[in-house]
Amino acid sequence: MQIENEIIQYMKQELDSDFIDAAIPRERRVSIKIRPMVLRKAVDALKKRYSTLRFITITTVDHGLDFEFLHHFQVNETVLTLRSIKPKEDNTLESIVDLIPAANFIEREIADLFGVKILGHPQMQYLILTKDWPDNERPLRESFEGDLPPQARPVAEALISTSCVAPVSALIQRRREEAGLPRTPPFAFTDERALKEFHELIKNTNLDEKVGFDWEKKRLRYK
Amino acid sequence: MRYPCIEIASKKVFEKIGLKAVDLPSYSCCPEPVVSRLLDRIASLSISTRNLAIAEELGSDLITLCNGCYETLFEADFDLKHNSEELQKVNNILRQYRKSYHGTVQVKHVVEVLHEDIGIKRLEQQVVKPQKIRVALQYGCHLHREPEGEDIMRKPNMMRELTKITGAELVDYGLEKLCCGYPSMHADEEFSLKNRLLPKLKRIEQAGADAVVLSCPACMIQFEMGQTLLRKFGFDYKIPCVHIMELLALSLGVPPRDLYLVFHRIPPVRLILMQE
Repeated sequence: MQIENEIIQYMKQELDSDFIDAAIPRERRVSIKIRPMVLRKAVDALKKRYSTLRFITITTVDHGLDFEFLHHFQVNETVLTLRSIKPKEDNTLESIVDLIPAANFIEREIADLFGVKILGHPQMQYLILTKDWPDNERPLRESFEGDLPPQARPVAEALISTSCVAPVSALIQRRREEAGLPRTPPFAFTDERALKEFHELIKNTNLDEKVGFDWEKKRLRYK
Repeated sequence: MRYPCIEIASKKVFEKIGLKAVDLPSYSCCPEPVVSRLLDRIASLSISTRNLAIAEELGSDLITLCNGCYETLFEADFDLKHNSEELQKVNNILRQYRKSYHGTVQVKHVVEVLHEDIGIKRLEQQVVKPQKIRVALQYGCHLHREPEGEDIMRKPNMMRELTKITGAELVDYGLEKLCCGYPSMHADEEFSLKNRLLPKLKRIEQAGADAVVLSCPACMIQFEMGQTLLRKFGFDYKIPCVHIMELLALSLGVPPRDLYLVFHRIPPVRLILMQE
């Protein structure tokens, strides 16, 4: 496992905090997860370090809410995959054609089949699809959907954003007060520190990613 | 949360019988079992364990007024006490927030606490206003939850005995164990109303019950809201519903006006008038 570990250490050093994690599923196979914004930096670093670097292909996986891009390379006898995940709302992939000319056709194929916009590609035109193919119909693109069925979405949204699946409405708060109770029970959402702790717990267990929660908008990324 | 009247009644009953209960500070949803447990086991377990750890910090056991909360917290506690690897995994997450759970909390539904820890006799002695009504019971599915498949009627039978000491007459209708349909409302409202709630309501009315007594606020939502929703399908029911704690509070002499029963979607005023 010498070469496999050597690649991982090198990429870790080059990418610093943009290196997310790595795995060696078996001998002569390395997978490195990186932040998407350093894809070109990662490819450039590999080129500089390994003179025998050979580009294999790019795999695109449509996960519903996100695209996963797998850039496969060969370093001597080891296959190395750079994994990066981008939200579908972004819908772009940075071209590496200027670094790896052999990526030209596969990037065009990704654009054709998934409707992903390839940034910086020198020759962006349909490769597989016919010239009159409609722009809004892409053969391998899945609909923008997460794992949750529609009925379960409000429950998940309320749980993650407020720590409670049955938010206390203004009417109930008023009624509670009339009855001599505090406006709400001492739920986590009544205490800023406790709610922050609850949100951190959600992030730590990746529940937010799993359901596709947008923290800025405080709702699911899909309706 | 949606029924402050259940919280009020419980506090009044606890006060009357000298049971010291405090609200769990900064707790979160237990979490809701239908959605969260299906999504991610460790996330769901961590949320439950955070609640258990807060109770442990207080040196308290945990009483729930809801069957769903009971089952979620009970199962989390049970699993953690029997799976040290999982406990360690969850504690590793919680330690980041200076919390951890050591398995010293007992999770109990309120009917267990009243029956086992307070005792039927002691409660019976405090009944000053027997409720002269005929009631049907809605145990709620999760009240049957036992650690390892023992007597699943243990807690429902406790609920029966508690109801009897209030003076209310139990009316058996044969579908006590059928789900009220609350969970399936998430998937198919019409199915849930017509194939779960409606058969129960028909039998309850035929049996001549004045009201339904429940041990779970989720069942309460289904029974009250469901009766309203069934009108659009041509079924008109207005059977009052009360939580077991409300019935107990009334029988212990808490004045009806102090229980804010008007918070119910179908206010059980008719029941109170029957007592006058």
